[in-house]
This record gives sequence, C-alpha cells and structure tokens, in this order.
Amino acid sequence: MKISYDWLKWYIPEAPKAEKLANVLTYHVCEVESFEKRGDDTVFDINILPNRAHDLLSHQGIAREIASLLDIKFIDPTPKYKIPESQPTTLIKEIKSSKCRRYMGRVIRNIKVGPSPEWVVKHLESIGQRSINNIVDATNIVMYDSGQPAHVFDLKKVKDLKLQVRDAKEGEKITLLNGEEKTFKSSMMIIADYEGNVLDIAGIKGGKYAELTSETTDIILEIANFDPVSVRKTAQALNIFTDARKRFENDLSPELGPYAMRELSALILEMCPGASFEDVVDVYPEKQAERKLTFSAERISEILGLDVSRKEIENILKRYNIEYKNVEGKFKIVVPPLRFDLNTEEDMAEEVGRILGYDKVKSKIPKINFKPRANEIYKKITWIRNKLLEEGYSEVMTYTFSNQGETEVLESASDKKFLRINLTDGLKESLKLNKINSPLLGLKEIKIFEIGTIFLKNKEEVRVAYNEKEKIVEMSLDEFCKSASPDTFSRVLGKNPQTSSKKHAGLAQERFSMWSLFPFIARDVAVWVPESVESSKVQKVIKEHTGKLVILEPELFDEFKKPASSAGGDGKVSYAFRIVFQSMDRTLTDTEVNEIINKINKKIEENKNWQVR
Amino acid sequence: MSEEIKRGKEHPLSILANQAYEVFLELGFEIALGPELESEWYNFDVLNVPPDHPARDMHDTFWVKDNTAPRVLRTHATSVTARMLEISAKENRIPCAFVSVGKVFRNEATDATHEMQFFHVDGVMVGNLKDSVSLANLKGVLAHFYKKMLGEDVEIEFRPSFFPFTEPSIEVWTKFQGKWLEMMGAGMLHPNVIRNVGLDPEKVQGFAFGGGLDRIAMVKWGIPDVRLFYQGDLRLNQF
Repeated sequence: MKISYDWLKWYIPEAPKAEKLANVLTYHVCEVESFEKRGDDTVFDINILPNRAHDLLSHQGIAREIASLLDIKFIDPTPKYKIPESQPTTLIKEIKSSKCRRYMGRVIRNIKVGPSPEWVVKHLESIGQRSINNIVDATNIVMYDSGQPAHVFDLKKVKDLKLQVRDAKEGEKITLLNGEEKTFKSSMMIIADYEGNVLDIAGIKGGKYAELTSETTDIILEIANFDPVSVRKTAQALNIFTDARKRFENDLSPELGPYAMRELSALILEMCPGASFEDVVDVYPEKQAERKLTFSAERISEILGLDVSRKEIENILKRYNIEYKNVEGKFKIVVPPLRFDLNTEEDMAEEVGRILGYDKVKSKIPKINFKPRANEIYKKITWIRNKLLEEGYSEVMTYTFSNQGETEVLESASDKKFLRINLTDGLKESLKLNKINSPLLGLKEIKIFEIGTIFLKNKEEVRVAYNEKEKIVEMSLDEFCKSASPDTFSRVLGKNPQTSSKKHAGLAQERFSMWSLFPFIARDVAVWVPESVESSKVQKVIKEHTGKLVILEPELFDEFKKPASSAGGDGKVSYAFRIVFQSMDRTLTDTEVNEIINKINKKIEENKNWQVR
Repeated sequence: MSEEIKRGKEHPLSILANQAYEVFLELGFEIALGPELESEWYNFDVLNVPPDHPARDMHDTFWVKDNTAPRVLRTHATSVTARMLEISAKENRIPCAFVSVGKVFRNEATDATHEMQFFHVDGVMVGNLKDSVSLANLKGVLAHFYKKMLGEDVEIEFRPSFFPFTEPSIEVWTKFQGKWLEMMGAGMLHPNVIRNVGLDPEKVQGFAFGGGLDRIAMVKWGIPDVRLFYQGDLRLNQF
C-alpha cells in the first residue's frame, strides 16, 4: 500500500524523517518495500500484514500506529470536520443479504460536479491515483484516509429513493464504469433499486448505470460493510481488483462507517458549500459486540522469553489508548473495535513484543533434556547415499512432475501435470544430458543416482535409482539395503548418520561457478614424441597456446609406445589430449577452434622430433 | 589394472540437509520424515489455516484429483512436524523437538528465484510450562543454526510477521556478507495448533520455524538460479 509522508504529517507533525520512519515500521509493524522522494513528498510502499489489514490500510491508521509506537502527538481530524445542517430524508435502504453487516446512506442535493481542490489532487497523485472529479475524489480520499471504501450514485437514477443490498439473481448482469459487462451468480451480492437496475457489485466496483456525470446535481452517498469471504470470492470469480475489494476482503469493522460518513460529508460540504444535506440513514442489524481480553505480564514474559514489567505494559496500553483495568494482578482490556487481531493472550504477547522490539529478545539455547529417537528411514537413506558415493556415483535430483503418471494435479501452471511413478525416466534424461557433457565433466563414465519419492495410485514410496552403463536400476530403500551384509548394515544403523558435511561448516569460502549455456567443442590432439619426453611437457606446450576459450585442463586420455626394439618401432610414444572449448557468451564456430588447434599443432612441431598425428 | 574409485559428488542440497540435521540433532531435535502428498488436514487445518485462506487456492497449491478426501502436495514440511507432535502427545512424550528437511511444492510460475518444487527446513519444539520454551529460545536455536550453516560471523534478527500457525509470528533475517536477507518464517505455536495436535495450550508451549534450504544454498555458495538444483546436471555438484 502506498502511503504519502506529507499526508501522514497532517496527523503526526512530529513524525521522524522518512528513512527513520521506514526503519521504525520495518522493526515494529511490517515490511517497507520501498520509499522514494516524489517532489517535496516521500512515498512509502508498505506491505501491511494480513492481521493488521483491518486497521492499517489507511493514512489515519498508519498515523495512529506510529503516534502510539513512538509516543508522539496524534492530531485527531474528526473534531475539525464541519457538520452540515441536515434535513429529514425519504431515502430507504434495505439489507436483504446476510452478507451485508451495515449499510449507511445520505442524500445530498445541489452539488456541482467539477474539478477538485488542489490539495485533493496532490494527495491522490502522491499515492498514484488519478483525480476524476471532486465528488468521486472525495470518496477516494476518505478510503485512503480512513480505510473505509465509499461510493456515490446519481440520485436521479434511483427510482423512489429506494435501494437494496441483495444476492444477485443467476445470470443478472452489470455494465461496469469502464464499459465491461459482468454476469452474476446467485452467490454474489449487489446493490440495486427496486426496478431491477443493478447499481453496484457490493464492496467491489460501481456500475455505469448510476454513474455521476457533469449534469448530476443530487447524489446518494453509500458507506457499507460486507462479509470479507463473500467479497473475496465474488471479486475472484469476476476477476476484479479494486482498492475497495482489498479492504473489504480483509474484514473491516462496521464501526468505521460513521467516521467515514462524517469525513465524506465534511469534504463534500467543503467542495460544494451550497449543497443541502439530508439525514444519514443507517441500517445496522447487529452491532459489533464489545470484546474484552485478559492477560498477565508474567505470561507474556514467558512467551517472549523476556522480562516485561507491568509498568511497561501499562505504558503501552496508555500509548495505544486502550481502556484497561487491573483485575487480580491481570490486565483486563477493552479491545479497540478495529483491532480484530487481538483475541488471545498470545496476541497480546505479539503486540507487546513488536512494540518493544524483538531485538530486546535475547538468544537463549534451551537447556532441555530431550530424548530423541533415531529415524530409521533417514538412516537407510544416508547409508545408501554413502554407499553409492563411495562406489563413484554422483547424486542428482530431478523433477517430481512428469507428463504421465497415475496422480494428476489440478490447475498446474506447467504442462507436466502428473506426479512421477518412477525415478527411472528422470534419471534417463539426466544420464543423457551428462553423457553429452562428459568431456566438460572430465568423466570417462557417467555414474549417477537419485533418492526420491514416487507416487503410485494409492501410495507414495521413497526409492533409489542408479545406472549400470545404459541401464537404470530402481528399487525401494529396503530392497537396496538387503544387498548389505546384515553385519555392516546394522553397524551403520547403530551409529549416528554418517555425513560428509563436516568440511562445509564454518565460513562459506567455496563459491559456485556458473557454467556456460552455450555449446562446447571438444578436440583431440595426438602427438608422437621421443620416449624420453614426458606427457606433462607436451601438456605444457598445449596449455600455453590454448587461449582463453579453453575451459578444462588439457586431459591426457590415451598413451601408447612403439619401443625401438619392437617390430616397426621407432622409439616414440604417442600422447593424446582432449581440449574442450566453450565461451560464456556465445556459440563458438568450428573455424575459430580450428585456428587455435592449428596454432597448437604448429607450436608442437617446432620441437625437434615431435610430430602431430 | 585396478584403479581406485573416485568418490562421487553429492548433490549440494543433500550436503546442506545433512548439515542442518547435524546441527539440530546436537540440540536434541529428532529427525522427522513424512508424506509429500498430504491430507488437507495436516497441510492446512491442523495448522490453523482458515478454510477460506488464499493459500488454499489452486493458484498457490497443487491439489490432486481424488475421489475420496482432498489431498495436496505439501506446501511446507510443518505438516510432518505436526504429525510428530500429534504422536508425541499420544505417547506423552513432552518435551520434544522435531526437524524435517524435505521437498515442498507451490503452484507458481518458475523463474530464477521461484520453483514448483524446493526444499524446506521445518522444525518445532514443544515443552511443558516449566521448560518455558520461548521466543528467546527460538532465537537461540536459529542463531546457532545459521552460524553453523553460513559462518560464525552471521547475525540474525526477528521482524514482525504473520502466519496462521504462530502467535507471535516473526520473520527471520540474517546478515550475511554485509547484507540482510529474509530466510524464514517462525514464531510461537498458535494455541489452536497446540489444541489441534491434542495438547493443552494451558500446559505446553513451543515454537515452530520453516524456510527454504535452496535459499541457504544460493546464499552460501552464490548459486544464481533455483532451477539449477533439479536439472539432473552434474555440473551443479561442485562441493
């Protein structure tokens, strides 16, 4: 959520500098994704946590939190809102869906739709919103300021001033403000008049039908509260993302309504001083119950592992304007209506912990006498892995997903929608890949294995698979372990799992080196030299002239002698080296590799009695 | 001619998994393994994830076509530690501590830092009230863990967070080579979770943590792309 620093400062003029503020939020409230200067203002992008989305998705919410957190002055704007004179109203609002918890409305006549005052435009633009007209802007300001979404209809479109919130009829339609048409299911909730005109998708988005125009003079304000799950499901099904949806689906308190109505009315009065207001209609079938919560300083200290005094807690409660009593050594508080996140003693431990700062909680290794048991499956896995490693096998991991199998996953983003029924298929692919790469790996023979889970119709099983040349052998862990002499095996199982990780403890000195994604070219150079010449001497000459494109040491892969004594022998030895070329940033051509090889050959033949084969 | 066989090379994630187990075993944890295809109960319900929580959406979780009970590819290995807690509750084996390193799954588009499958290190520790397993203990255990995994000069800190299965909830950040990195989610086990595994939140308390193993590997060795772990390419086995 975008938050303007200048906007916050209306309420907390003593707020610390932007950078300090970002730090305070990070360590006591939630993550600050970014903050950047925009003109004279600074705009924060804040990731409000789901359990605080009831009270913090707004500038006033954040300002109150910071004021309490830092114990600085909060300037309450409410007393400053002008209260318009008001006439009796004939507006009727009816709640016909159980998913609407409060429905407030107000008729205002004689308004003039026009541009917004400069401060309104500036506030909206600071958080990336576009000014539309004064009345629509007023509803948006109220939402970003108080957290309560608001909406306005053109009064002339509402027959007999009667509105209802009801469940939609299957197949009923709405044309949205942007012209897009949406079709409802009966599980969705709408705002409509009694003539069947749909005005609004409840809590999500307004329709075109009762949209304000430059001709509009009379309007109906709407401030409501809806069930969060219903709003989320409807918006998801219709694929609509709006700021109103975001707030409602996070569950707002219906107690927020009157504040928003007061703010919205005052804003419209400021914009249209000649407007005449009617009384607020408020349908609120079941008032939100007052919630109480009891907790003790001792219990909070136990949870946090930090001694928190009663005095510190009292100080917090005062800063957060939370009403409390001391009852038998415990705190009994009245939970502020917007704080749906505070229900249990543990919630209060979190509240106290984050306010004090988790840096106050000091690391303490528990001194508890646990009686752990050995995990037999893990022992087997470790034994198998070690055995295969010792036999020269290297370990790979392949994908659990496959394009065929007995278990299908739903709605996968990938084309591999099944769970593997064996390790063999994946290992075959791995074998193929590594064989192609064998010159790069410097391996004469590829030996690989995988230990992993496979999924059969009604069970999953951990298996091991490895290759014997081209063939893949796959079996269960137990089957593999049978091949161990019972003696060896029980000895291994008797010990703690053996691992090879000791050398990796401590500082990470080893760094990974990424390989090239471009193809490599391997070439062989074979040389006849006198028997007395050692291979390393030839290798040295090659190395000196291979250039930067070579990626491995020239490898001696063949050597044979024709002693002078033997038939046709001339007392020479042949050394054959493999040289592998690869570039990190392009595909090499034959021509450039040939040039390098020619150069090497030339350098070799500069030596007396050395001859390229 | 007999040639000495050169030892093969272990997968980097196995190296780290074993190392993680070693660290936790020394602290008294017990290794726990469990199914990758998990019931909705152990993956979500038991962990106090509300029925309509977005994490349960098909966009985030792999659900499996099944005529009987709905099943998911586990989205964390906390499902395994929850199963173990349940058994321990029945066997009256409190205090106890479990750690599980295993493959987990998320239904998301893949890129250099996102994979459909990856490894998690998940753990729990639960004690009777007199054992006073606290947030300070969680910090002690995790500070020790990251020092062993990434080096003695690594610092850790807790930042506020939210998870349905913990209260208080925190994010674990580590400072490695001068940079702060988010590594894990953790917190004190939510009383509903304690109740769901058959224990009494008035009598026991504990903590839970969970985070990516692939992430530790990427940070520790500078491996640039999470997808490299599952290609079956031996060029990965450099350590």
